Amino acid sequence: MSTTTAAAAAKMTSTTAVAVSLVLSSCVIANAFRQKKQFYPSVVYICKSNPSMAIMYMQALVAVYLIGKLTGKLFFGSLRPAESERLIEKAWYAVTETCLAFTIFKDDLSPKFVALFTLLLFLKCFHWLAEDRVDYMERTPIISYIFHLRIWLLLFILTLGDLYFIHDAYTTTMAKGPSVQLVFGFEYALLITLAANAGFKYILHAVDVHSDTFWESKAVLLLYLEFFIGLCKAVMYVVFLIIMIRTYTIPLFAFRPMYHTLRNFKKVFQDLVLSRRAIHNMNTLYPDATSQDLQAIENVCIICREDMTAAAAKKLPCNHIFHTSCLRSWFQRHQTCPTCRLDILRPTPPTTQNSNIPAPPTSNLGRTVQETPLTNAAPSSSATDNSRGSNTSNHLHVSPGQAGSSGNTYYNQTPLQYQFRPYAFQQRPISIDEVNGNNNDNSNNGIPEPNNMNESWDAFMNAAGLGGGIRLPSLFNDMPGSSNSSNLPFTNIPQIPLNLPFVGGIAIQPPNIPPNLDTLTDEELRLMEQNTRQGCLARIKYITDIKCMLDAAVVMMNHYSSACLVAGLDSTDSNLNSETKTSDSTENDEQLETRPPSNVSSETDSNAGSGGGVTSSSSGSEDQLLPEETEQQRVIRLKRLEKFGSNSM
Amino acid sequence: MAGSALRRLMAEYKQLTLNPPEGIIAGPTTEENYFEWEALITGPEGTCFEGGVFPAKLIFPSDYPLSPPKMSFTCEMFHPNIYSDGRVCISILHAPGDDPMGYESSNERWSPVQSVEKILLSVISMLAEPNDESGANVDAAKMWRENREEFNKKAEELVRKTLGIPPSE
Repeated sequence: MSTTTAAAAAKMTSTTAVAVSLVLSSCVIANAFRQKKQFYPSVVYICKSNPSMAIMYMQALVAVYLIGKLTGKLFFGSLRPAESERLIEKAWYAVTETCLAFTIFKDDLSPKFVALFTLLLFLKCFHWLAEDRVDYMERTPIISYIFHLRIWLLLFILTLGDLYFIHDAYTTTMAKGPSVQLVFGFEYALLITLAANAGFKYILHAVDVHSDTFWESKAVLLLYLEFFIGLCKAVMYVVFLIIMIRTYTIPLFAFRPMYHTLRNFKKVFQDLVLSRRAIHNMNTLYPDATSQDLQAIENVCIICREDMTAAAAKKLPCNHIFHTSCLRSWFQRHQTCPTCRLDILRPTPPTTQNSNIPAPPTSNLGRTVQETPLTNAAPSSSATDNSRGSNTSNHLHVSPGQAGSSGNTYYNQTPLQYQFRPYAFQQRPISIDEVNGNNNDNSNNGIPEPNNMNESWDAFMNAAGLGGGIRLPSLFNDMPGSSNSSNLPFTNIPQIPLNLPFVGGIAIQPPNIPPNLDTLTDEELRLMEQNTRQGCLARIKYITDIKCMLDAAVVMMNHYSSACLVAGLDSTDSNLNSETKTSDSTENDEQLETRPPSNVSSETDSNAGSGGGVTSSSSGSEDQLLPEETEQQRVIRLKRLEKFGSNSM
Repeated sequence: MAGSALRRLMAEYKQLTLNPPEGIIAGPTTEENYFEWEALITGPEGTCFEGGVFPAKLIFPSDYPLSPPKMSFTCEMFHPNIYSDGRVCISILHAPGDDPMGYESSNERWSPVQSVEKILLSVISMLAEPNDESGANVDAAKMWRENREEFNKKAEELVRKTLGIPPSE
């Protein structure tokens, strides 16, 4: 409302100004003719009289204004409020700077130069408007043919005008030495970069509008265009500054635009460098999203709100998934994750570690464990996710309605994790009961299926939980076989699993279950082969996970053996003893001979015997050892990994 | 093909039309220009702005959603976080690295994940709980802190004004 009244008021004042100047100038002319009666004497009379000349100059300005309006109407139609606002703002700056420029060239000050400066301002306005119009192309769905025609014509005329005036300034300066024409030449050279910028942008937009698919590289091209135009302008300003200082004095009037240009150029340059790095990172390091990942987040890219396909989407180290093209244009501004603001160029160490472990494509377990280290705290972790999602509510506490939705997405991504743990807890008591009840033959019934890694892992975890809730590695280190089993804090076997998982489980952080290594993609394997820190960390993580599982297996073996001892069971399966002895000799004490047989434990344990020995010996100091490992050791270790992977499937 | 900014704005407009959040109406001023929106925001219940319907306009940059829109109320407002010319000063509307008040942390800033709906909801919660540390309108911040009664009275006057009801006295 207020803007419309203001606009109406402005229109009123401008019309009255035009009318008053018209009346005044016609009065002056009429007066001259009344006194001199003839054309020539009256012209001389007007030129001699200062007040008459002032009015005539004013009339000329008004005429320029009217011509400007008319040409504007011709080329732009009616101006939008935002456009005229920007125009007026820029025009004021230009007028102020022109006044400053007059102070340097006060000797040259003459009506001719005032006219030339007015013309310059006039042309400047059209350059700005042309730029605004070209930018507007991106905003409107409706672009008529007349729009294209107008832009073409306008840019053509502006470029011609600029070239003419540059040429003019050049010849004058060459012929008569430096004068105010220097400034003109420089200003028109700047204007021609503006025109070129608008022209190239127009071409890019026009191509984009006419293509049926999304033009991915447009944003990159625009950034490069901005860079080159910025470079041209910066060079021009520097050259102009040098010339002006050598011939006249410091050109104060050029300082403000020069500062702006240089600052913009610096920003564009930084953006260009950083975005190139971020995009390079994105293309090389981060995996494409899989279709399962996409389903988990409802398949919508949150930047453009459009559907994603697996080929065109990337997963960042923080597990957020976006369109590759959307990420590319965002990285041109900021090199952070749009959702969680993880710095892409300098990821925090723990996140990178996790991120660069290739998540197994077939199971989302590895990722879920990374996302929520405190796995038992399912409700609380979803709550933190919610709070992360609600950071939209600036400094206010009320989280906007949809803010929780991203949190929900996290929660949806990890259903498996929250489901299988309680399930496994229930499973365990039965298994022990069965071991107790059906003494010998069915002893492996209660053990989860060996080919279900989730369940078997939980069985391990529960077994470890019996040890009193210590973290696994330390538990393992504390456990020299027999002494450990004698320390076990239970006497009544069936009750153990019922009580302890909830005590012990909380403190234990389950490692990632190593996936079947056959399913790793080439890219993931290449990552692990790298000699960089990331590759090394990825390897260490795999080894640590495996070690944890082995530790848990050993602990469970101990529990079984002690449980069997307490229950007074006899060994009935002699054929397994021979296999388990190898591990017993290195890991456990001789009491283990009497444990009940089980497929999982024996298999895992035999691995522990062959491969776990090395791993466990390096426990606690892996971080120092692994980076220095030789090629041979690595090959051995990879073989071990393979073996473990195939066994645990 | 139309620009990504335009398509995203169209998607948001559709979303806002199909599932309008409570207390918010928003859409482009004209169908020809999706980069200038008008919005009507109702004052949150239980606050001094309850019952008011406040018109605002949103101006989107051509690289939306990479840059945040600008929002300003087109009616008279008296609030610690609204400049006297109607511009809204909340961190969700500021791009990272651009901090007019020098205190906002970057995780409250604009990112492409935000949307018109979230902005408007944030503005509603801003109406409910002004942040008197960011003094876009210092007089209002001072009054909010020191003379809550008068602030409430002033807000009520504003509410009456937006509804076209004459002042109470």
